[in-house]
Amino acid sequence: MDFDPSPTQRALLDALGTLLSRSAGTDRSRELAERGAYDHVLEAVLRRDGFLDLFASEDAGPLEATLAVELIAAELGAVTPVPHLLVLPALGLEQPAGPVVASLDGPAGPVRYGAEATQLLLADGDRCVVAELDPAAAEPVPSAYGYPLARVVPAWHRELAAGTAGTLVNWWRVGASAEAVGMMRRALDLTVAYTKDRTVFRRSLGSFQALQHRLAELSVLVEGARWLVYEAAFNGAPAEASAVAAAHTMTALGRLTRETHQIMGAIGLTTEHDLHLWTLRLQAQRAELGGGQGPRRAAADARWAAAS
Amino acid sequence: MDFGFTREEESFRDEVLGFLDGYRDLDGYFHRGADTADGVRRVYRALGDRGWLSLSWPVEFGGGGRSPAYEFILWDEMAYARVARPPMGPGLVAKALMSHGTGEQRDRFLADLRRGRTGFCLGYSEPDAGSDLAAVRTKARRDGDEYVVDGAKCWTSNAHWSDHIWLLCRTGAPDSRSRGLSVLIVPLSTPGVTVSPIPTLDGGRLNEVRFDGARVPAANRVGPENEGWQVVGSALAVERHVQFPPKRLRRDLHDLLDDLEAAGVHRDPVVRRRLQDLAVRVAEVEALALALLGEVISGEPAAVPAAYHKLAGTVLAQDIARTGMELGTARALVKGTDTEFLWRQSILETIGGGTSEVLRGLIARQEFGLRA
Ligand SMILES: Cc1cc2nc3c(=O)[nH]c(=O)nc-3n(C[C@H](O)[C@H](O)[C@H](O)COP(=O)(O)OP(=O)(O)OC[C@H]3O[C@@H](n4cnc5c(N)ncnc54)[C@H](O)[C@@H]3O)c2cc1C
Repeated sequence: MDFDPSPTQRALLDALGTLLSRSAGTDRSRELAERGAYDHVLEAVLRRDGFLDLFASEDAGPLEATLAVELIAAELGAVTPVPHLLVLPALGLEQPAGPVVASLDGPAGPVRYGAEATQLLLADGDRCVVAELDPAAAEPVPSAYGYPLARVVPAWHRELAAGTAGTLVNWWRVGASAEAVGMMRRALDLTVAYTKDRTVFRRSLGSFQALQHRLAELSVLVEGARWLVYEAAFNGAPAEASAVAAAHTMTALGRLTRETHQIMGAIGLTTEHDLHLWTLRLQAQRAELGGGQGPRRAAADARWAAAS
Repeated sequence: MDFGFTREEESFRDEVLGFLDGYRDLDGYFHRGADTADGVRRVYRALGDRGWLSLSWPVEFGGGGRSPAYEFILWDEMAYARVARPPMGPGLVAKALMSHGTGEQRDRFLADLRRGRTGFCLGYSEPDAGSDLAAVRTKARRDGDEYVVDGAKCWTSNAHWSDHIWLLCRTGAPDSRSRGLSVLIVPLSTPGVTVSPIPTLDGGRLNEVRFDGARVPAANRVGPENEGWQVVGSALAVERHVQFPPKRLRRDLHDLLDDLEAAGVHRDPVVRRRLQDLAVRVAEVEALALALLGEVISGEPAAVPAAYHKLAGTVLAQDIARTGMELGTARALVKGTDTEFLWRQSILETIGGGTSEVLRGLIARQEFGLRA
């Protein structure tokens, strides 16, 4: 066992970090969100530099791809890293240009970047369906939760081999959880930094033990989520591990959101402050996985079905 | 002990419900939608015309001399209907003027406040003084029979449609903390006062109010110079029973139920279990609200019961909204649904009007005598 990033992983994340510091981040994210736009430029750069190929590459793999997904989300990259870096390669499919969306549970509700999406992955029983989308037919849906949403209209579709739905759902759970982990960590870091800078009652806000304990508890949650996600990715997204990672992460993000906003005070409740760029998107991620309940049920099903 | 409202109080509730029928389309409680300020102003005027903004004011000040229970019923039903929140002016400001104001100030303000013709906002918080209000820096320098005010307030609710700001400012030395503060009434039309918006996550706005050499008559100071802390402290106490009307929560829960029914998940046993928990907690908060009201009626300061009530109530508002977001699918993200709006709105409630941490500290100190 070795929980430290390898030199390869470290180099990869450094390179990706550098790329994202130029092509993503809060300002870029605000500007794109204003227009409800997907970041085609970022996607092209990620593709050019090989980050979309990590999953199946020789010197990297699914875990590295998952680490990359986490970092892209933390830096608010306005792309769809979960399908591009994890799900499509896991299914052995080509990665089209532009956003790819999914519906894990019945007909597609509003999905992120749906207005520009060209492909929909749909889990239907144990079948997986790939549908082409007509962006012109998509119906944008207003949302306050960071991502531009739209209902999509599938044009024609093809079915993949039986049993592939599990691959879609499991990797999507791992990927969305990796995104959430990256975003939770960023929200927490921002809050911790704020408590060091802010003075109340002639002391730093972070010097109050009541807050120290709460911040510490949040770090436990995020770390737990992080290792569950990495482990699931490392093991190839088995059903139970993926569901457990998602169940824990989707529960953790509720508490993390509440606490970071609370500890930040009024400033964090304004749209001028950056905290909401992560926390609102976190709620959207949970909704995308069918709320906190979906993964919890799946985790229990996977466990008890396996035991029987 | 007597848990019920009197027959007169219940028939007042019926009158309130009748009144509300004319205003149910107005979402002035949350100021959702455009131009709600005008609508709320109209409601306040109509209430003023009926004497309902001064229900519990003493008769000598033109009030109804009635029990605070009437105010509670009024604002509780207003909250359920989502029509409006209690205005600061006829509540906190008027009651503070009755105990700390001069005869001239009462003559100048009380009649308009009672009639709902003038609006006040509260200028306490600053960028570097929130929980720690004694750190207020906005300075008022005496110059003849005026004060010259410089500084900035922030998070000021409703400043953009108020007439006056009830301003806590420093008249003592910079490090005088709570001993060097005074309260001034400043017309927002005063030259040198500017109000600008601070957009919040619920889609609404708070405000920054800047003072650049604004001249305010010394006759607008409420209470003695440097004794503003006492004025602010006692002013806080008089409005506790209407600050967070519990029926807001009952309505939140009803709206959540409607939403889950529309999503077709309301019969799911897990969903039902969550709803049962929330329903029990709504009843808990209602009980705490009545206990608080009882204290206010008997003339107690009620700081601790008010803290219990606000702590339990505001976190419940969040939990109701969160339940909706957690149980809902991506549908829950569509802007404009009650669920998603209440999620963004309720997140403000545990900060505005006294943070949960400040309230917990107050309980620990006042109820248990614990000290840092
Ligand atoms: C919706 C809304 C409406 C408002 N309306 C008004 C208004 O009309 N007029 C006005 O003057 N102000 C208003 N405010 C401001 C409000 O009063 C302040 O936001 C509040 O007092 C907290 O101050 P702060 O935001 O500066 O947080 P800070 O004081 O910086 O505190 C940050 C966090 O740390 C916690 N904290 C602080 N000290 C301690 C401690 N010793 N131990 C543990 N935790 C601690 C706080 O509870 C908070 O959670 C409003 C705020 C909101 C959100």
